[in-house]
Amino acid sequence: MNVTAKPLPLEGVRVLDLGQFIAMPFCTQWLGWLGAEVIVIESRAHMTGRKAPPFTSGKEGDPNASGYFNFLYGAKKSCTIDLTKDAGRELVRRIAAKVDVMVDNFSTGVLEKLGLGYDVIQKVNPNIIMLSCGAFGRSGPMAGAMGFHSAVNLFSGVADVTGYADSHPRLMGGVLPDPMAGGYGAFAIMAALHHRNKTGQGQFIDMGMYEVMLALIPEAVLDLTMNDRDPVRAGNRDRVKAPHGIYPCGEDDRWIAISVDGEAEWAAFCKATGHAQWQSDPRFASAAARHANADALDEAVSGWTRLHAQADATETLQAAGIAAGPVLRTDELLGHPQLRARGMVVSSDHPVAGRFEQLGLPWRMDSVGVSYRRAPMLGEHTREICIGLVGMSAAEFAALEAEGVLS
Amino acid sequence: MSAATTASAAKGTVGPLAGMTVVELGEGTSAPFAAKLLGDYGAEVVKVERPGGDPSRQRGPFPGGKPDPEASGLFHYLNTNKLGVTLDPGTEAGRATLDRLAARADVFVTNLPAAALSEAGVAPAVLRARHPRLIIASISPFGTDGPWAERHGDELVTYAMGGLAYSTPGMPDASEDLLREPPLHPAAFVAETLAGMGAATGTMAAFLTRGRTNEGCHVEVSQQAAVAAMQQRDFTTTSYLGGTYNRLTNPTIFGRMPNFYLPCKDGYITLAAPMDHQWDRVVEAMGSPDWAKTPAFNTVGARGENWRDLRERLKAWTATLTGEQLFALAGKLRLPLFPFYPLRRLEASEHARVRASFIDVSINGHKARMPAGPLMMRASPWSLRRPAPRLGEHTRTVLADWLGEAP
Repeated sequence: MNVTAKPLPLEGVRVLDLGQFIAMPFCTQWLGWLGAEVIVIESRAHMTGRKAPPFTSGKEGDPNASGYFNFLYGAKKSCTIDLTKDAGRELVRRIAAKVDVMVDNFSTGVLEKLGLGYDVIQKVNPNIIMLSCGAFGRSGPMAGAMGFHSAVNLFSGVADVTGYADSHPRLMGGVLPDPMAGGYGAFAIMAALHHRNKTGQGQFIDMGMYEVMLALIPEAVLDLTMNDRDPVRAGNRDRVKAPHGIYPCGEDDRWIAISVDGEAEWAAFCKATGHAQWQSDPRFASAAARHANADALDEAVSGWTRLHAQADATETLQAAGIAAGPVLRTDELLGHPQLRARGMVVSSDHPVAGRFEQLGLPWRMDSVGVSYRRAPMLGEHTREICIGLVGMSAAEFAALEAEGVLS
Repeated sequence: MSAATTASAAKGTVGPLAGMTVVELGEGTSAPFAAKLLGDYGAEVVKVERPGGDPSRQRGPFPGGKPDPEASGLFHYLNTNKLGVTLDPGTEAGRATLDRLAARADVFVTNLPAAALSEAGVAPAVLRARHPRLIIASISPFGTDGPWAERHGDELVTYAMGGLAYSTPGMPDASEDLLREPPLHPAAFVAETLAGMGAATGTMAAFLTRGRTNEGCHVEVSQQAAVAAMQQRDFTTTSYLGGTYNRLTNPTIFGRMPNFYLPCKDGYITLAAPMDHQWDRVVEAMGSPDWAKTPAFNTVGARGENWRDLRERLKAWTATLTGEQLFALAGKLRLPLFPFYPLRRLEASEHARVRASFIDVSINGHKARMPAGPLMMRASPWSLRRPAPRLGEHTRTVLADWLGEAP
């Protein structure tokens, strides 16, 4: 529990979460951390991520011990409803009538088949904000195509600018399209909430994940459309800076990122690495020369980095005013002194899963609070939502429970 | 506003942030992108440039490759919907004007180094004290405190220190050789864009809070953390199982097979069929070859164990078909299979046309297209109201309109 006494941005905002996989669960976790009450609809038959590994050791298969779930559902409430039953879907509509925001990233058309599309929900809640996210968006001829992060990478043009020199397009790590769409979604929902505060008007938001990724590559899009030039893959090289790359260090599979901008930094780099002669080497004498001789330059830089431990090379270059830093692995990030010093590593104590650490929001706010709380147990809040929020009688709850509509 | 600019986005519409006022003192991508998001969705943004202008004016891509600070594609993309003001924060008059602009604004966005902000009289703490309702969003490579606060970082270094480089190429793509294929950074401002997205999202959180409390906020973004926060899946693995994703295909970490990136006759595809029922469809698509039914491949466990052999056999199949042929099969059989689209093909696609994923612009008379606003907010859509400003284009107008100074 890391609840601050400061005001929470989304206090009083209620979100109905029909998110799947990572994109929308990531989005609503940010909203939850910012203070929204997020209600996750789960089904015991088709569980939301709870069946996915990794699990707490010794609790494999326990729906409350899935790391996949617990890391994406912090600060949310779990309401267990069987969506295969008419009464279950009706119950979701009753919940939808009581919320400010609803999100989903089912395959296109699934929500409509469930009778939970915007056309239906808008009738029970005219001012609702619905964010619907698909790999290809909710309109256009490919709206119905299936696609995970890899398809988004391949369709969005991002793979076209990712790759080693003279090699084929590669996929980015970290399933980036999912969390990036989630972050964008949080921005859009807050913008829509502001619009609703002013005008009373809710709305439908159609988010295509490939369009989110397009924001990463304006240079490639403009060079193509303005100059008819296709992207050129060139490894870690930059159009302007040189040297600019990721170089091997003395240790096995350890790397350092180095980025040298302009002649003064190049001089400082040569001096710091003990290679003052590089400065007068005609192959490296100007940025243009260094670009023209990039292979030789990278070879020279690697020759130096290979002789040094990652930490030592980093210290040497940083002391000389060069942008340089270790290529960090995720197992190093949670313990990284910089992220820890900024309070960005958050932990949650979960009654079943135990205590684990993850990263919270990547920014800090001095006058505004955040609320990091553990993920819910399966069905933990079903009663609270149905009776407290929807206004169901205890008898009706019992009857629906007996029919297996909720649990 | 340049008469040559055309926009296919909705005209005359009001975005969700209409009425919000923003001053940006930003360079490169991160802060300009944050302010662009706010501006694209309706805020009035004044971009303040120092003499010489934002360095992204020098970066291009330029029409015909000819450098021109008024025709940089990257600058145009990042600075649409902004008014441009130049002033010299090295002079007392410049500092006074900057402070008066901040006094008029709801939001002040910057990514200038701390020393430059102090020199300009707009250090966040100073602004915060002087203008209690102002929301200040500041972005720095590693954040303003902690052991790395004073260190040098840029796009490449923060990307590497945020963990994304180590895991690129990422699943289901993979390196064949860890040493010859180093961690990879796409030729794109990924870390800066993520930091800008974080700044805009944090700004919205603070802005919604201010609506209730009337108090401003300092939203302080670490670019390294903005990258790292995207890696939820990888943190889950690290935290629950230990270890980390690397760039090799490693089914012991990421599970069931096939989940591969494969060459096809005219490009590349991803194929994800980890579940038995999906594998059955792959076998059907291949024409039910005998090998697929042998014990080496007919169970989940066997496919995981023999994944190298499986990949070769699948390659032999995909190499005989084009991406489109495979995609058509996938559509028929509901298989998660997707082909690589070169950016040129995406840009020309019917899907992108129908969704208006790109918007027509004119850069110094040259026709070009840019990525459009990535979210279709139906009631309060984004709009392209004005092209990026020429250097100092609106200085007189803004001083008159915002500050009431006689021209």
